Amino acid sequence: MTELLERRPVRVRVGSVSTDADPTPGYSPEPDDAEVGRRFAAGDEQALAWAYERFAGQVHGMAVRAFGPGPDAEDVTQQVFVSAWTGRAGYRPEQAPLPAWLVGVCRHKIADTWARRDRQRRAAEAAITEARTAPESTGPQVDTAVADRVLLLAELEQLGQPQRGIIELAFFEDLTHTQIAARTGLPLGTVKSHIRRTLERLRTRLEVDGAALHA
Amino acid sequence: MQHCTPEQLALAALREPLPDADAAHLDACAPCRDEVASLRRGVDALAVPELAAPSAAVAPPPSVWAAIAAGTGVRTAPRPEVLAAAPVAPPPPPLAAVRPQAGPEPDPEREPASAPVVPLRTGRSRLLLATAASLVVGAGIGAGAVALGTGSDEGVAVAAAALTPLADSGATGEARVVERSDGTRVLQVDLAAADPRGGFYEVWLLDEAVEDLVSLGVVRGGREVELTLPPGVDVGEFPIVDVSVEPLDGDPGHSGQSIARGTLES
Ligand SMILES: [Zn+2]
Repeated sequence: MTELLERRPVRVRVGSVSTDADPTPGYSPEPDDAEVGRRFAAGDEQALAWAYERFAGQVHGMAVRAFGPGPDAEDVTQQVFVSAWTGRAGYRPEQAPLPAWLVGVCRHKIADTWARRDRQRRAAEAAITEARTAPESTGPQVDTAVADRVLLLAELEQLGQPQRGIIELAFFEDLTHTQIAARTGLPLGTVKSHIRRTLERLRTRLEVDGAALHA
Repeated sequence: MQHCTPEQLALAALREPLPDADAAHLDACAPCRDEVASLRRGVDALAVPELAAPSAAVAPPPSVWAAIAAGTGVRTAPRPEVLAAAPVAPPPPPLAAVRPQAGPEPDPEREPASAPVVPLRTGRSRLLLATAASLVVGAGIGAGAVALGTGSDEGVAVAAAALTPLADSGATGEARVVERSDGTRVLQVDLAAADPRGGFYEVWLLDEAVEDLVSLGVVRGGREVELTLPPGVDVGEFPIVDVSVEPLDGDPGHSGQSIARGTLES
């Protein structure tokens, strides 16, 4: 038996990494996620490295799900961490765990990437249309769903709690209002009326700004 | 008949089923249907699979951190062994296109080909192993469960698990907890798997949330091995036997690459 084949009883607590055979001396005990979030907001550079260690996989997993593996997904993941870091003054650790906030930033970056692609598509189509000099053409159409997403993700940012958490559970975790009530401990009626008001608010935002955006 | 309540129409916009009478009314009432349609535009914009909560984690290549460091100017860095973690499985394919009509829906074809890939110790994420575990551990229960013999020459088997392969690893096996007369416990593992190229198999006990884990030791494919259970480890709390491939990198944490699992049943 080689040394490697001997038993190595090592207990690893996820997130705290306490082992009795740590091969990387010099690392101090790591803070929990909440502490990483506070230090991130405070601008501690080590917190960015920890956040990357802990959450880059989830963020990149989302990016890969949207764009497939490759440069687009890698760009999104990079942008999420760069924007999160440069925009850390906007992060409120007491309101959301850091990974949830990063996932929200990732949604914006995915929507922005779609919008950029849509602009590029229209630019390309416009060039073709111009080359054909087709006067009756109305020009390339904006993909309204793509534009709506950018607008509505920004509107979600404006929601207070618990409205925002409720609608995110409905939209992004596909929970029913009953499940949301169970998850949050809020009364069913409260959950339903928040859902109603939030959907109205999103509708209003689309009516007011969606039209201008699409014009 | 009365119109549906505004709250019910909002739920209908989210595609929740309504009580029968309201559903029948909605089918027949143009104003109610228009209201649902107008509320649904926001639902359709945002409730798409691409924006859903993260499912499978995928480790980004090291170049991504390099770009972040360049973009932020920070002088810290993640630990090298974390940066070097590379996907073991092909990541899930992209969704073909944005489907504005579809809410997030489970898509079994997008399950990763093996347990996802970020080293467990780097995060608390129960997402990491849970995706694969939820399917595979469930499937393994009862299937070819090990007979709980009493009275092998040494000790009594108190729990056993059939180990079933994760994805296409092909690895199978059995594991049983044997309690000796002196009170010590061992996990006997009999693994049928080709030995990995450039690495070794390690046996772990995981809790059901796949948040916490205990390393028991190393096993080789085609050999039976007895691994001592550390005193104080409750197999009720850590019921999942997990076998991982560990690279020779000196990192004592779980690699994130599991080849077989099973749930101990007593
Ligand atoms: Zn009606």
